[in-house]
Formats: sequence, structure tokens, C-alpha cells
Amino acid sequence: MGVYHKGMKHIKYFSILLCLFSSYAFSHPVIYKDGFVYWGSFTPDMNTQKLSYTFDPSYSIEINSSWFSNINEYRDYTIGANYLFKRWLNADSQGNLYGSIHAGTYEDKDGTGNVGHAMLMGDWESRELYTAGNIMGIYFDNKELYKYSYRIGVAPYVAGMNTLQNWLILKFDYFKEDYNGLTITPMMRFFYKNVLWELGSNTRGDSFLTLMVHY
Amino acid sequence: MKILLTLVISVFLSTAALAETVKVHVPGMVCQMCVQGMQKQFKSAVADPEKDVLVNLDTKVVTVHTKEPITDEDIKKRVKDAGYNAEKITRVSNEKKVQEETN
Repeated sequence: MGVYHKGMKHIKYFSILLCLFSSYAFSHPVIYKDGFVYWGSFTPDMNTQKLSYTFDPSYSIEINSSWFSNINEYRDYTIGANYLFKRWLNADSQGNLYGSIHAGTYEDKDGTGNVGHAMLMGDWESRELYTAGNIMGIYFDNKELYKYSYRIGVAPYVAGMNTLQNWLILKFDYFKEDYNGLTITPMMRFFYKNVLWELGSNTRGDSFLTLMVHY
Repeated sequence: MKILLTLVISVFLSTAALAETVKVHVPGMVCQMCVQGMQKQFKSAVADPEKDVLVNLDTKVVTVHTKEPITDEDIKKRVKDAGYNAEKITRVSNEKKVQEETN
């Protein structure tokens, strides 16, 4: 019974990670001074939401909550900090390197526990091309799991100030503990003024909507 | 009537004399978030950020119509707070602009 329970618990964590990471948007974790960002990702069975405040152009603080109804009614709350290690400003492009550390608690039908995650993320963007990659680690019950993600996107047209910006993006997620390993997610990103939204569906057939508003 | 007209013109000219247009070259601006960041950081220096802070993503130039004169240091700080670096700052006096438009 104990072994069975442990195995189920492991499957549960993997499922949570997959849901969390497959929907995780590559938004800038640190924006401009005094900037607020609300970010939410939604499917019929889950949602992940976060609110961050950038109090210096190099770092921000963030609160998160996740809920997965079909994974034992899992719910977690974390708080964390994001740091911009380096920004490369070129004539017509920019690159960024960020780090994040978050920690908090989770609860589900079986009980409660502590959870933490750390992320290293890099991106490069021009007005026509966009690419980003990250390594994310999650820590719980003395275990460590890592997920690798990469995105590449093209803009079908070059958008100016206050016009709708559109990206066609292909995202790859690799998680070695998962039986499928690699997940591919084609998606569309739209960005108008201070609102960004993404629509996509991955190779598992999971569709999602991501909404981000910054102020 | 003449006094009132003189007063209105004087107020207009004094406001125009205080206001100025600043153009700042900011490399690396590529997206809408850059626009939002600039408008937020220059908000206190302009009357309406939507109309008075214009970001040209093609030329990487931010044009700011300020209420009052603004120093280079202040401009550099605001651009820095938006996450970027101001490379070149040029100024166009609004009074000069009004005179040019009148002529």
C-alpha cells in the first residue's frame, strides 16, 4: 500500500509539472520600474496565476497560485524573486538573461507540503524573430526534477507602436521523467498595448489560453 | 477685452516657453512593452502619456512633449528605469516650433 501510494504521489507530481510547464509563458519576469504584471494561464481543468511587481529594472517580486482540479485537487501558493542578470541592447534587437527562485506550500486531498522552484531563462528578440530557452527545477519532498524548454517564433509582419503585434511560435518542452519526453506546442501570441495573450494546443491535445497584462 | 486677450496670449506663450520636445535615441526597443515602459517612466513629465510619449520602433527614437524643461540626467534616469539606455538626446523648443508654424 505504501509503495503504491508513493508511486501515485510521484505520478501526481509529474502531472502537475507537465501542466505547469507546458502552459508556462516566456514572459519577461522583470519589466520596468514600478511595473505590475498579472499573468494567468487557463484550461478547463487548471489555472496558474501570478502577480509581480518590478521595483527596480533589475529585479521583481512575485506571488503565484496554481490549481489542478483533475490532479487530486492540487493547489499551491508560492512567493519569489526574479532577477535580470544581463540585458544586451543591440541596434535592432535585445537579449536578456533572468533567474528566479520561488518557494511556498501546496495542498491536495492527501495533505500539505512545501514546494520550491528555480529557473534560469534567456531570450533574444528582434521585431521579426524571437527565441527563448529556460531550465526550470522543482524541489519537493527532498526530490529534484528538471525541465528544459525552448521557443522559436516569427512575426508575420512588423508591428509599430499601438498596433497589434502577432507571433507564430513553436515551443519544445523536454522532461526526461515523462513517458513521452518531448512535448511540442504550436501557438499564436498577440500583443496589443499592455495586453498579451497566447492560444495554443500541444501534441497531447491540451489547449490553453494565456493572458498577461502589465501596467 | 484687449487686456483679456493679452493675458491669454501671455499665458499661452509662457506655457509654450516652458514646454519642450525631446527626442531620445534608445537602441534595443523592439516590442509593445518598451512603449509601455517609456510612457510609464515619462508620465509625470507630460500632460498625456498616450499622446505626448511617442515611440518609433523603426528608428528607435522616443519623442517626448514635456510640460516643463527636463534635464539630460533626468531623461537618462527615466530611460534607465524603463530598462534601456539613452544614447543621444536632441531638443526642439516648442516656442520655436510655434513660431515656425506661424510663419
